[in-house]
Amino acid sequence: MNWNLFIKEMRRNALSLVLWMIAIVLLISLTMSVYRTVIENQTRIMGMMSLVPKGALQFKGISNFNDIFSVLGFYAANNVIYMMVLGSIFAIVLSSNILLKEEYNKTAEYLLTKPLTRSEIFFSKLAVIFLHIFLLNLVAAMAGLICMELVKQGPYNTHAFLILSVYTLLLNLLFGAIGLFMSTLVKRPKPITTFSIGLVLIFYFISTISKITDSISRIGYLSPFNYANTNAINPDYKLGFWHLLYFTGISLILTGISFRLYNRKDIYL
Amino acid sequence: MQVIEITDLSKFYGKARGIEHVDLEIGEGEIFGFIGPNGSGKSTTIRILLNMIFPDSGNARIMGLDVIRETKKIKQLVGYVPSDANIYNSMDVHEFLNYCLHFYQGQNDARRITELSEMFELDLKRKIAELSMGNRKKVSIVQSLLHRPKLLILDEPTTGLDPLMQAKFFELLRSENRNGMTIFFSSHILNEVQLLCKRVAIIKEGKIIQLEDIETLRKKQLKKVYIEFGDPVNQENFSIQGLENVITRYGNLLSFMYSGNINELVGLLAEKKIIDVTIEEPSLEEIFMHYYK
Repeated sequence: MNWNLFIKEMRRNALSLVLWMIAIVLLISLTMSVYRTVIENQTRIMGMMSLVPKGALQFKGISNFNDIFSVLGFYAANNVIYMMVLGSIFAIVLSSNILLKEEYNKTAEYLLTKPLTRSEIFFSKLAVIFLHIFLLNLVAAMAGLICMELVKQGPYNTHAFLILSVYTLLLNLLFGAIGLFMSTLVKRPKPITTFSIGLVLIFYFISTISKITDSISRIGYLSPFNYANTNAINPDYKLGFWHLLYFTGISLILTGISFRLYNRKDIYL
Repeated sequence: MQVIEITDLSKFYGKARGIEHVDLEIGEGEIFGFIGPNGSGKSTTIRILLNMIFPDSGNARIMGLDVIRETKKIKQLVGYVPSDANIYNSMDVHEFLNYCLHFYQGQNDARRITELSEMFELDLKRKIAELSMGNRKKVSIVQSLLHRPKLLILDEPTTGLDPLMQAKFFELLRSENRNGMTIFFSSHILNEVQLLCKRVAIIKEGKIIQLEDIETLRKKQLKKVYIEFGDPVNQENFSIQGLENVITRYGNLLSFMYSGNINELVGLLAEKKIIDVTIEEPSLEEIFMHYYK
Protein backbone atom coordinates (compact mmCIF):
# COMPACT_ATOMS: atom_id res chain seq x y z
CA MET A 1 0.00 0.00 0.00
CA ASN A 2 1.17 3.52 -0.81
CA TRP A 3 0.21 6.28 1.67
CA ASN A 4 0.64 9.10 -0.83
CA LEU A 5 -1.92 7.50 -3.14
CA PHE A 6 -4.18 6.46 -0.26
CA ILE A 7 -4.36 10.00 1.16
CA LYS A 8 -4.97 11.49 -2.29
CA GLU A 9 -7.81 9.05 -2.95
CA MET A 10 -9.35 9.69 0.47
CA ARG A 11 -9.34 13.42 -0.27
CA ARG A 12 -10.60 12.93 -3.81
CA ASN A 13 -13.64 10.98 -2.62
CA ALA A 14 -14.21 12.87 0.64
CA LEU A 15 -16.86 15.27 -0.65
CA SER A 16 -18.90 12.46 -2.13
CA LEU A 17 -18.66 10.51 1.14
CA VAL A 18 -19.78 13.52 3.20
CA LEU A 19 -22.76 14.16 0.89
CA TRP A 20 -23.80 10.50 1.11
CA MET A 21 -23.47 10.62 4.91
CA ILE A 22 -25.65 13.74 5.11
CA ALA A 23 -28.28 12.18 2.84
CA ILE A 24 -28.40 8.90 4.77
CA VAL A 25 -28.50 10.65 8.18
CA LEU A 26 -31.33 12.91 6.97
CA LEU A 27 -33.33 9.97 5.64
CA ILE A 28 -32.89 7.96 8.85
CA SER A 29 -33.76 10.98 11.02
CA LEU A 30 -36.82 11.86 8.99
CA THR A 31 -38.07 8.29 9.04
CA MET A 32 -37.47 7.79 12.75
CA SER A 33 -39.14 11.12 13.54
CA VAL A 34 -42.53 9.65 12.62
CA TYR A 35 -42.13 6.63 14.94
CA ARG A 36 -43.99 8.23 17.87
CA THR A 37 -46.87 9.17 15.59
CA VAL A 38 -47.02 5.55 14.43
CA ILE A 39 -47.18 4.32 18.05
CA GLU A 40 -49.87 6.88 18.93
CA ASN A 41 -51.98 5.65 16.00
CA GLN A 42 -51.14 1.96 16.46
CA THR A 43 -54.76 0.71 16.30
CA ARG A 44 -55.64 2.65 13.15
CA ILE A 45 -52.41 1.62 11.45
CA MET A 46 -53.02 -2.05 12.35
CA GLY A 47 -56.41 -1.75 10.70
CA MET A 48 -54.95 -0.16 7.58
CA MET A 49 -52.12 -2.68 7.36
CA SER A 50 -54.51 -5.61 7.54
CA LEU A 51 -55.74 -4.42 4.11
CA VAL A 52 -52.22 -4.43 2.66
CA PRO A 53 -51.20 -7.68 0.90
CA LYS A 54 -48.64 -9.74 2.82
CA GLY A 55 -46.26 -9.59 -0.13
CA ALA A 56 -46.18 -5.80 -0.11
CA LEU A 57 -45.23 -5.82 3.57
CA GLN A 58 -42.50 -8.35 2.91
CA PHE A 59 -41.26 -6.03 0.21
CA LYS A 60 -40.38 -3.70 3.09
CA GLY A 61 -38.92 -6.50 5.18
CA ILE A 62 -41.96 -6.71 7.53
CA SER A 63 -42.91 -10.28 8.37
CA ASN A 64 -45.26 -9.46 11.21
CA PHE A 65 -47.50 -6.41 11.82
CA ASN A 66 -46.25 -6.05 15.36
CA ASP A 67 -42.68 -5.76 14.06
CA ILE A 68 -43.00 -2.11 13.20
CA PHE A 69 -44.34 -1.08 16.61
CA SER A 70 -41.07 -1.89 18.34
CA VAL A 71 -38.47 0.77 17.76
CA LEU A 72 -35.93 -1.74 16.38
CA GLY A 73 -38.54 -3.34 14.12
CA PHE A 74 -39.54 0.08 12.84
CA TYR A 75 -35.90 0.98 12.22
CA ALA A 76 -35.20 -2.33 10.46
CA ALA A 77 -38.33 -2.15 8.29
CA ASN A 78 -37.92 1.45 7.22
CA ASN A 79 -34.22 2.18 7.22
CA VAL A 80 -32.95 -1.06 5.83
CA ILE A 81 -33.76 0.18 2.34
CA TYR A 82 -31.58 3.25 2.86
CA MET A 83 -28.49 1.53 4.08
CA MET A 84 -28.81 -1.78 2.30
CA VAL A 85 -29.84 -0.43 -1.10
CA LEU A 86 -28.40 3.09 -1.05
CA GLY A 87 -25.28 1.96 0.83
CA SER A 88 -24.75 -0.79 -1.75
CA ILE A 89 -25.19 1.74 -4.55
CA PHE A 90 -22.60 3.97 -2.88
CA ALA A 91 -20.24 1.00 -2.52
CA ILE A 92 -20.57 -0.27 -6.08
CA VAL A 93 -20.31 3.19 -7.67
CA LEU A 94 -17.18 3.98 -5.65
CA SER A 95 -15.48 0.65 -6.27
CA SER A 96 -16.35 0.34 -9.94
CA ASN A 97 -14.88 3.78 -10.60
CA ILE A 98 -11.87 3.99 -8.35
CA LEU A 99 -9.50 2.11 -10.69
CA LEU A 100 -11.38 2.68 -13.93
CA LYS A 101 -11.55 6.46 -13.46
CA GLU A 102 -7.77 6.64 -13.82
CA GLU A 103 -8.18 4.95 -17.19
CA TYR A 104 -11.09 6.83 -18.72
CA ASN A 105 -9.80 10.17 -17.41
CA LYS A 106 -6.37 9.12 -18.73
CA THR A 107 -4.68 10.08 -15.44
CA ALA A 108 -3.29 6.51 -15.36
CA GLU A 109 -0.51 7.85 -17.60
CA TYR A 110 0.78 9.67 -14.53
CA LEU A 111 -0.11 7.16 -11.84
CA LEU A 112 1.24 4.08 -13.63
CA THR A 113 4.51 5.77 -14.50
CA LYS A 114 5.33 6.56 -10.88
CA PRO A 115 7.43 4.12 -8.82
CA LEU A 116 4.54 1.96 -7.70
CA THR A 117 3.63 -1.64 -8.37
CA ARG A 118 0.14 -2.52 -9.58
CA SER A 119 -0.33 -4.30 -6.22
CA GLU A 120 0.38 -1.09 -4.33
CA ILE A 121 -2.11 0.80 -6.48
CA PHE A 122 -4.73 -1.93 -6.04
CA PHE A 123 -4.38 -2.22 -2.26
CA SER A 124 -4.24 1.55 -1.72
CA LYS A 125 -7.51 1.93 -3.60
CA LEU A 126 -9.00 -1.14 -1.90
CA ALA A 127 -8.24 0.42 1.49
CA VAL A 128 -10.05 3.58 0.38
CA ILE A 129 -13.10 1.55 -0.69
CA PHE A 130 -13.16 -0.36 2.61
CA LEU A 131 -12.70 2.74 4.73
CA HIS A 132 -15.36 4.73 2.86
CA ILE A 133 -17.92 1.93 3.15
CA PHE A 134 -17.05 1.41 6.80
CA LEU A 135 -17.33 5.14 7.62
CA LEU A 136 -20.69 5.46 5.84
CA ASN A 137 -22.01 2.44 7.73
CA LEU A 138 -20.62 3.74 11.03
CA VAL A 139 -22.27 7.14 10.60
CA ALA A 140 -25.56 5.53 9.53
CA ALA A 141 -25.48 3.16 12.51
CA MET A 142 -24.68 6.02 14.88
CA ALA A 143 -27.54 8.06 13.42
CA GLY A 144 -29.87 5.07 13.77
CA LEU A 145 -28.79 4.47 17.36
CA ILE A 146 -29.20 8.13 18.35
CA CYS A 147 -32.61 8.33 16.65
CA MET A 148 -33.81 5.15 18.37
CA GLU A 149 -32.62 6.45 21.73
CA LEU A 150 -34.56 9.66 21.16
CA VAL A 151 -37.86 8.08 20.08
CA LYS A 152 -37.89 4.73 21.92
CA GLN A 153 -40.88 3.88 24.15
CA GLY A 154 -39.07 1.06 25.95
CA PRO A 155 -35.87 -0.99 25.82
CA TYR A 156 -34.70 -2.64 22.61
CA ASN A 157 -32.08 -5.26 21.77
CA THR A 158 -28.85 -3.38 21.02
CA HIS A 159 -27.14 -6.67 20.18
CA ALA A 160 -29.68 -7.28 17.43
CA PHE A 161 -29.14 -3.72 16.21
CA LEU A 162 -25.39 -4.42 16.02
CA ILE A 163 -25.98 -7.62 14.04
CA LEU A 164 -28.29 -5.74 11.64
CA SER A 165 -25.54 -3.15 11.16
CA VAL A 166 -22.96 -5.89 10.51
CA TYR A 167 -25.25 -7.48 7.87
CA THR A 168 -25.59 -4.08 6.21
CA LEU A 169 -21.83 -3.56 6.24
CA LEU A 170 -21.17 -7.05 4.83
CA LEU A 171 -23.73 -6.52 2.05
CA ASN A 172 -22.22 -3.14 1.16
CA LEU A 173 -18.71 -4.63 1.15
CA LEU A 174 -19.88 -7.43 -1.12
CA PHE A 175 -21.21 -4.89 -3.61
CA GLY A 176 -17.90 -3.05 -3.25
CA ALA A 177 -16.12 -6.25 -4.28
CA ILE A 178 -18.56 -6.78 -7.20
CA GLY A 179 -17.88 -3.23 -8.45
CA LEU A 180 -14.14 -3.67 -8.25
CA PHE A 181 -14.36 -7.00 -10.07
CA MET A 182 -16.50 -5.51 -12.87
CA SER A 183 -14.07 -2.62 -13.35
CA THR A 184 -11.14 -4.99 -13.90
CA LEU A 185 -13.11 -6.77 -16.63
CA VAL A 186 -13.67 -3.59 -18.63
CA LYS A 187 -11.33 -3.58 -21.63
CA ARG A 188 -12.05 -0.18 -23.16
CA PRO A 189 -12.21 2.40 -20.37
CA LYS A 190 -15.59 4.04 -19.90
CA PRO A 191 -17.73 4.70 -16.83
CA ILE A 192 -19.91 1.77 -15.71
CA THR A 193 -21.87 3.72 -13.09
CA THR A 194 -25.31 3.21 -14.66
CA PHE A 195 -24.72 -0.50 -15.07
CA SER A 196 -23.49 -0.78 -11.46
CA ILE A 197 -26.54 0.98 -10.02
CA GLY A 198 -28.78 -1.12 -12.25
CA LEU A 199 -27.16 -4.29 -10.92
CA VAL A 200 -27.88 -3.37 -7.28
CA LEU A 201 -31.50 -2.56 -8.12
CA ILE A 202 -31.92 -5.79 -10.09
CA PHE A 203 -30.57 -7.84 -7.17
CA TYR A 204 -32.89 -5.99 -4.78
CA PHE A 205 -35.83 -6.57 -7.11
CA ILE A 206 -34.98 -10.29 -7.39
CA SER A 207 -34.81 -10.57 -3.61
CA THR A 208 -38.12 -8.80 -2.97
CA ILE A 209 -40.03 -10.50 -5.76
CA SER A 210 -38.84 -13.90 -4.55
CA LYS A 211 -40.33 -13.11 -1.11
CA ILE A 212 -43.68 -12.02 -2.57
CA THR A 213 -44.23 -14.97 -4.89
CA ASP A 214 -43.70 -18.43 -3.47
CA SER A 215 -43.47 -20.08 -6.90
CA ILE A 216 -40.30 -18.11 -7.73
CA SER A 217 -38.87 -17.99 -4.23
CA ARG A 218 -35.77 -19.91 -5.38
CA ILE A 219 -34.51 -17.11 -7.61
CA GLY A 220 -33.99 -15.16 -4.40
CA TYR A 221 -30.89 -17.25 -3.80
CA LEU A 222 -29.25 -15.39 -6.68
CA SER A 223 -29.43 -12.10 -4.82
CA PRO A 224 -27.02 -11.04 -2.05
CA PHE A 225 -29.94 -9.18 -0.42
CA ASN A 226 -31.46 -12.56 0.32
CA TYR A 227 -28.62 -13.41 2.69
CA ALA A 228 -28.77 -10.19 4.71
CA ASN A 229 -31.22 -11.10 7.46
CA THR A 230 -33.20 -8.01 8.54
CA ASN A 231 -35.60 -9.73 10.91
CA ALA A 232 -33.95 -8.04 13.89
CA ILE A 233 -36.79 -8.48 16.39
CA ASN A 234 -36.81 -12.25 16.01
CA PRO A 235 -35.62 -13.66 19.38
CA ASP A 236 -33.30 -16.05 17.51
CA TYR A 237 -31.78 -13.27 15.44
CA LYS A 238 -28.06 -13.80 15.03
CA LEU A 239 -25.21 -13.53 12.57
CA GLY A 240 -25.49 -16.88 10.83
CA PHE A 241 -22.22 -18.68 10.13
CA TRP A 242 -23.17 -19.58 6.57
CA HIS A 243 -24.35 -16.05 5.89
CA LEU A 244 -21.08 -14.69 7.24
CA LEU A 245 -19.17 -17.18 5.12
CA TYR A 246 -21.24 -16.25 2.05
CA PHE A 247 -20.51 -12.51 2.36
CA THR A 248 -16.85 -12.74 3.36
CA GLY A 249 -16.13 -15.67 1.03
CA ILE A 250 -17.59 -14.08 -2.11
CA SER A 251 -16.11 -10.68 -1.26
CA LEU A 252 -12.64 -12.15 -0.76
CA ILE A 253 -12.82 -14.34 -3.87
CA LEU A 254 -13.97 -11.44 -6.07
CA THR A 255 -11.30 -9.15 -4.58
CA GLY A 256 -8.64 -11.83 -5.15
CA ILE A 257 -9.68 -12.33 -8.78
CA SER A 258 -9.81 -8.55 -9.30
CA PHE A 259 -6.26 -8.28 -7.93
CA ARG A 260 -4.96 -10.91 -10.34
CA LEU A 261 -6.79 -9.37 -13.30
CA TYR A 262 -5.59 -5.84 -12.50
CA ASN A 263 -2.00 -7.02 -12.11
CA ARG A 264 -2.05 -8.35 -15.69
CA LYS A 265 -4.42 -5.82 -17.23
CA ASP A 266 -3.43 -3.82 -20.29
CA ILE A 267 -4.25 -0.22 -19.46
CA TYR A 268 -5.59 1.26 -22.70
CA LEU A 269 -5.86 5.02 -22.81
CA MET B 1 25.59 0.23 -20.74
CA GLN B 2 22.45 0.22 -22.85
CA VAL B 3 19.75 2.32 -21.23
CA ILE B 4 16.96 0.78 -23.31
CA GLU B 5 17.20 -2.73 -24.79
CA ILE B 6 14.18 -4.00 -26.72
CA THR B 7 14.39 -7.50 -28.18
CA ASP B 8 11.91 -8.97 -30.64
CA LEU B 9 9.02 -7.17 -28.97
CA SER B 10 5.51 -7.76 -30.35
CA LYS B 11 2.09 -6.65 -29.24
CA PHE B 12 -1.28 -7.23 -30.85
CA TYR B 13 -4.62 -5.79 -29.76
CA GLY B 14 -6.78 -8.76 -30.64
CA LYS B 15 -6.19 -9.06 -34.36
CA ALA B 16 -5.04 -5.48 -34.75
CA ARG B 17 -1.30 -4.94 -34.95
CA GLY B 18 0.42 -2.88 -32.30
CA ILE B 19 4.12 -3.59 -32.90
CA GLU B 20 5.89 -6.55 -34.49
CA HIS B 21 9.39 -7.84 -33.77
CA VAL B 22 10.77 -4.52 -32.64
CA ASP B 23 14.48 -4.48 -31.74
CA LEU B 24 16.07 -1.35 -30.38
CA GLU B 25 19.06 -0.37 -28.28
CA ILE B 26 19.64 3.09 -26.88
CA GLY B 27 22.91 3.94 -25.17
CA GLU B 28 23.58 6.01 -22.10
CA GLY B 29 23.55 9.76 -22.72
CA GLU B 30 21.85 9.54 -26.12
CA ILE B 31 19.06 11.77 -27.36
CA PHE B 32 17.19 9.27 -29.46
CA GLY B 33 14.39 10.13 -31.87
CA PHE B 34 11.49 7.76 -32.46
CA ILE B 35 9.59 8.83 -35.53
CA GLY B 36 6.37 7.57 -37.02
CA PRO B 37 2.86 8.75 -37.82
CA ASN B 38 -0.16 8.12 -35.60
CA GLY B 39 -0.88 4.42 -35.20
CA SER B 40 2.60 3.30 -36.24
CA GLY B 41 3.38 1.77 -32.82
CA LYS B 42 5.28 4.55 -31.02
CA SER B 43 2.95 4.77 -28.04
CA THR B 44 2.60 0.98 -27.86
CA THR B 45 6.37 0.67 -27.54
CA ILE B 46 6.49 3.36 -24.85
CA ARG B 47 3.58 1.85 -22.92
CA ILE B 48 5.29 -1.54 -22.85
CA LEU B 49 8.46 0.11 -21.56
CA LEU B 50 6.41 1.72 -18.78
CA ASN B 51 4.48 -1.50 -18.03
CA MET B 52 1.12 0.00 -18.85
CA ILE B 53 0.52 -2.82 -21.32
CA PHE B 54 2.08 -6.26 -21.54
CA PRO B 55 3.91 -7.57 -24.63
CA ASP B 56 2.74 -10.73 -26.39
CA SER B 57 6.33 -11.79 -27.00
CA GLY B 58 9.87 -10.50 -26.70
CA ASN B 59 11.31 -8.55 -23.84
CA ALA B 60 12.46 -5.10 -22.88
CA ARG B 61 14.91 -3.84 -20.31
CA ILE B 62 15.66 -0.38 -19.00
CA MET B 63 19.10 0.08 -17.42
CA GLY B 64 19.37 -3.70 -17.24
CA LEU B 65 16.06 -4.05 -15.37
CA ASP B 66 13.13 -6.05 -16.72
CA VAL B 67 10.21 -3.76 -17.59
CA ILE B 68 7.62 -6.14 -16.14
CA ARG B 69 9.26 -7.64 -13.06
CA GLU B 70 11.29 -4.62 -12.00
CA THR B 71 8.97 -1.83 -13.04
CA LYS B 72 9.01 -0.06 -9.66
CA LYS B 73 12.82 0.26 -9.66
CA ILE B 74 12.70 1.44 -13.29
CA LYS B 75 10.14 4.13 -12.58
CA GLN B 76 12.33 5.53 -9.82
CA LEU B 77 14.84 6.29 -12.60
CA VAL B 78 12.50 7.32 -15.42
CA GLY B 79 10.53 10.47 -16.16
CA TYR B 80 7.66 10.42 -18.65
CA VAL B 81 5.77 13.12 -20.53
CA PRO B 82 2.62 11.66 -22.14
CA SER B 83 1.25 13.03 -25.39
CA ASP B 84 -1.99 14.20 -23.74
CA ALA B 85 -1.75 16.21 -20.55
CA ASN B 86 -4.79 14.74 -18.76
CA ILE B 87 -4.09 15.78 -15.19
CA TYR B 88 -6.37 15.56 -12.13
CA ASN B 89 -8.71 18.52 -12.63
CA SER B 90 -9.61 18.81 -8.97
CA MET B 91 -6.02 19.59 -7.93
CA ASP B 92 -4.07 22.82 -8.18
CA VAL B 93 -0.66 22.82 -9.82
CA HIS B 94 1.32 22.74 -6.58
CA GLU B 95 -0.81 19.98 -5.12
CA PHE B 96 -0.31 17.82 -8.22
CA LEU B 97 3.45 18.39 -8.38
CA ASN B 98 3.79 17.73 -4.65
CA TYR B 99 1.74 14.54 -5.07
CA CYS B 100 4.03 13.40 -7.90
CA LEU B 101 7.21 14.26 -5.99
CA HIS B 102 6.18 12.22 -2.94
CA PHE B 103 6.17 8.99 -4.92
CA TYR B 104 9.94 9.15 -5.26
CA GLN B 105 12.07 7.84 -2.43
CA GLY B 106 14.57 10.37 -1.14
CA GLN B 107 13.09 13.12 -3.34
CA ASN B 108 11.38 15.54 -1.02
CA ASP B 109 13.10 18.68 -2.21
CA ALA B 110 10.16 21.04 -2.66
CA ARG B 111 12.58 23.67 -4.04
CA ARG B 112 12.75 21.57 -7.21
CA ILE B 113 9.05 22.31 -7.79
CA THR B 114 9.64 26.05 -7.44
CA GLU B 115 12.77 25.96 -9.59
CA LEU B 116 11.14 24.13 -12.51
CA SER B 117 7.84 26.03 -12.23
CA GLU B 118 9.67 29.34 -12.43
CA MET B 119 11.58 28.11 -15.47
CA PHE B 120 8.29 27.22 -17.20
CA GLU B 121 6.47 30.30 -15.87
CA LEU B 122 3.82 28.22 -14.09
CA ASP B 123 1.46 29.66 -11.50
CA LEU B 124 1.48 27.04 -8.75
CA LYS B 125 -1.79 28.26 -7.23
CA ARG B 126 -3.88 27.78 -10.36
CA LYS B 127 -6.36 24.91 -10.57
CA ILE B 128 -5.45 22.33 -13.22
CA ALA B 129 -9.01 22.61 -14.59
CA GLU B 130 -8.40 26.31 -15.38
CA LEU B 131 -5.17 25.73 -17.32
CA SER B 132 -4.81 25.97 -21.08
CA MET B 133 -3.52 22.99 -23.06
CA GLY B 134 -0.05 24.58 -23.22
CA ASN B 135 0.10 25.18 -19.47
CA ARG B 136 -1.05 21.64 -18.75
CA LYS B 137 1.76 20.43 -20.96
CA LYS B 138 4.21 22.52 -18.95
CA VAL B 139 2.91 20.93 -15.73
CA SER B 140 3.34 17.54 -17.36
CA ILE B 141 6.94 18.34 -18.31
CA VAL B 142 7.74 19.66 -14.83
CA GLN B 143 6.37 16.52 -13.11
CA SER B 144 8.60 14.36 -15.33
CA LEU B 145 11.75 16.18 -14.20
CA LEU B 146 11.06 16.56 -10.47
CA HIS B 147 13.10 13.52 -9.41
CA ARG B 148 16.04 14.18 -11.75
CA PRO B 149 15.47 11.03 -13.84
CA LYS B 150 18.31 9.20 -15.61
CA LEU B 151 16.02 8.45 -18.57
CA LEU B 152 13.36 10.80 -19.89
CA ILE B 153 10.69 9.36 -22.18
CA LEU B 154 8.84 11.99 -24.18
CA ASP B 155 5.74 11.20 -26.24
CA GLU B 156 4.91 14.14 -28.52
CA PRO B 157 6.07 16.54 -25.80
CA THR B 158 5.78 19.85 -27.62
CA THR B 159 2.07 19.73 -28.51
CA GLY B 160 0.51 22.92 -27.20
CA LEU B 161 3.79 24.66 -26.33
CA ASP B 162 4.44 28.04 -27.96
CA PRO B 163 7.70 28.38 -29.96
CA LEU B 164 9.49 30.33 -27.19
CA MET B 165 8.60 27.75 -24.58
CA GLN B 166 9.58 24.99 -27.01
CA ALA B 167 13.01 26.56 -27.41
CA LYS B 168 13.38 26.87 -23.64
CA PHE B 169 12.30 23.25 -23.21
CA PHE B 170 14.81 22.04 -25.81
CA GLU B 171 17.56 24.03 -24.12
CA LEU B 172 16.67 22.39 -20.82
CA LEU B 173 16.74 18.96 -22.47
CA ARG B 174 20.20 19.65 -23.95
CA SER B 175 21.42 20.83 -20.57
CA GLU B 176 20.03 17.75 -18.76
CA ASN B 177 21.55 15.58 -21.48
CA ARG B 178 24.95 17.18 -20.92
CA ASN B 179 24.53 16.21 -17.27
CA GLY B 180 24.05 12.58 -18.29
CA MET B 181 20.31 12.20 -18.87
CA THR B 182 19.31 9.86 -21.70
CA ILE B 183 16.33 11.07 -23.72
CA PHE B 184 13.89 8.98 -25.75
CA PHE B 185 12.01 11.43 -27.93
CA SER B 186 8.95 10.12 -29.75
CA SER B 187 7.39 12.46 -32.28
CA HIS B 188 5.91 12.81 -35.73
CA ILE B 189 7.31 16.33 -36.08
CA LEU B 190 10.58 15.77 -37.86
CA ASN B 191 12.01 19.23 -37.50
CA GLU B 192 12.09 19.00 -33.72
CA VAL B 193 13.66 15.55 -33.87
CA GLN B 194 16.23 16.95 -36.30
CA LEU B 195 16.97 19.81 -33.90
CA LEU B 196 17.52 17.64 -30.88
CA CYS B 197 18.36 14.03 -31.69
CA LYS B 198 21.58 12.37 -32.78
CA ARG B 199 20.09 9.04 -33.75
CA VAL B 200 16.68 8.10 -34.96
CA ALA B 201 14.46 5.06 -35.55
CA ILE B 202 11.63 5.24 -38.04
CA ILE B 203 8.69 3.02 -37.22
CA LYS B 204 6.11 2.07 -39.82
CA GLU B 205 3.11 -0.20 -39.31
CA GLY B 206 4.56 -1.56 -36.10
CA LYS B 207 8.01 -2.34 -37.48
CA ILE B 208 11.27 -0.43 -37.25
CA ILE B 209 12.16 0.26 -40.87
CA GLN B 210 15.22 2.43 -40.40
CA LEU B 211 17.68 3.04 -37.60
CA GLU B 212 20.34 5.63 -38.34
CA ASP B 213 22.33 8.61 -37.19
CA ILE B 214 20.36 11.65 -38.26
CA GLU B 215 23.27 12.93 -40.37
CA THR B 216 23.76 9.55 -42.08
CA LEU B 217 20.08 9.34 -42.80
CA ARG B 218 20.15 12.78 -44.31
CA LYS B 219 23.18 12.04 -46.46
CA LYS B 220 22.22 8.52 -47.44
CA GLN B 221 21.90 8.42 -51.22
CA LEU B 222 18.53 10.14 -51.38
CA LYS B 223 18.99 13.33 -53.39
CA LYS B 224 16.63 16.03 -54.42
CA VAL B 225 17.26 16.91 -58.09
CA TYR B 226 16.08 19.87 -60.20
CA ILE B 227 16.86 19.86 -63.95
CA GLU B 228 16.16 22.55 -66.55
CA PHE B 229 16.20 21.00 -70.03
CA GLY B 230 16.95 22.86 -73.25
CA ASP B 231 13.91 21.25 -74.88
CA PRO B 232 10.50 20.23 -73.61
CA VAL B 233 10.87 17.01 -71.66
CA ASN B 234 8.65 13.98 -71.60
CA GLN B 235 8.67 12.05 -68.33
CA GLU B 236 8.44 8.76 -70.22
CA ASN B 237 11.75 9.54 -72.00
CA PHE B 238 13.42 10.15 -68.68
CA SER B 239 13.10 6.77 -67.08
CA ILE B 240 15.69 5.50 -64.64
CA GLN B 241 15.57 3.27 -61.57
CA GLY B 242 15.37 5.12 -58.24
CA LEU B 243 13.25 8.00 -59.47
CA GLU B 244 10.39 9.20 -57.27
CA ASN B 245 8.03 12.13 -56.95
CA VAL B 246 8.68 13.28 -60.52
CA ILE B 247 7.14 16.68 -61.25
CA THR B 248 7.27 18.48 -64.61
CA ARG B 249 6.85 22.28 -64.80
CA TYR B 250 6.68 24.66 -67.78
CA GLY B 251 7.40 21.74 -70.11
CA ASN B 252 11.17 21.76 -69.54
CA LEU B 253 11.63 21.78 -65.76
CA LEU B 254 11.82 18.46 -63.97
CA SER B 255 12.19 17.83 -60.24
CA PHE B 256 12.41 14.46 -58.50
CA MET B 257 13.83 12.49 -55.58
CA TYR B 258 16.59 10.11 -56.60
CA SER B 259 17.81 7.12 -54.59
CA GLY B 260 19.58 5.21 -57.41
CA ASN B 261 23.18 5.09 -58.65
CA ILE B 262 24.39 8.66 -59.20
CA ASN B 263 26.60 7.58 -62.17
CA GLU B 264 23.57 6.24 -64.01
CA LEU B 265 21.82 9.57 -63.49
CA VAL B 266 24.81 11.53 -64.75
CA GLY B 267 25.07 9.16 -67.73
CA LEU B 268 21.43 9.76 -68.63
CA LEU B 269 21.77 13.53 -68.20
CA ALA B 270 24.80 13.51 -70.54
CA GLU B 271 22.54 12.35 -73.36
CA LYS B 272 20.20 15.33 -72.91
CA LYS B 273 20.48 19.01 -73.59
CA ILE B 274 20.69 20.50 -70.09
CA ILE B 275 20.58 24.17 -69.11
CA ASP B 276 20.88 23.81 -65.35
CA VAL B 277 21.10 21.07 -62.71
CA THR B 278 20.70 21.41 -58.94
CA ILE B 279 21.28 18.42 -56.67
CA GLU B 280 20.63 19.01 -52.98
CA GLU B 281 20.13 17.21 -49.65
CA PRO B 282 16.48 16.53 -48.96
CA SER B 283 14.87 17.69 -45.74
CA LEU B 284 14.18 15.12 -43.07
CA GLU B 285 10.50 15.48 -43.90
CA GLU B 286 11.21 14.38 -47.47
CA ILE B 287 13.37 11.48 -46.27
CA PHE B 288 10.58 10.47 -43.93
CA MET B 289 8.02 10.53 -46.75
CA HIS B 290 10.40 8.48 -48.86
CA TYR B 291 10.52 5.74 -46.22
CA TYR B 292 6.77 5.83 -45.81
CA LYS B 293 5.99 5.24 -49.46
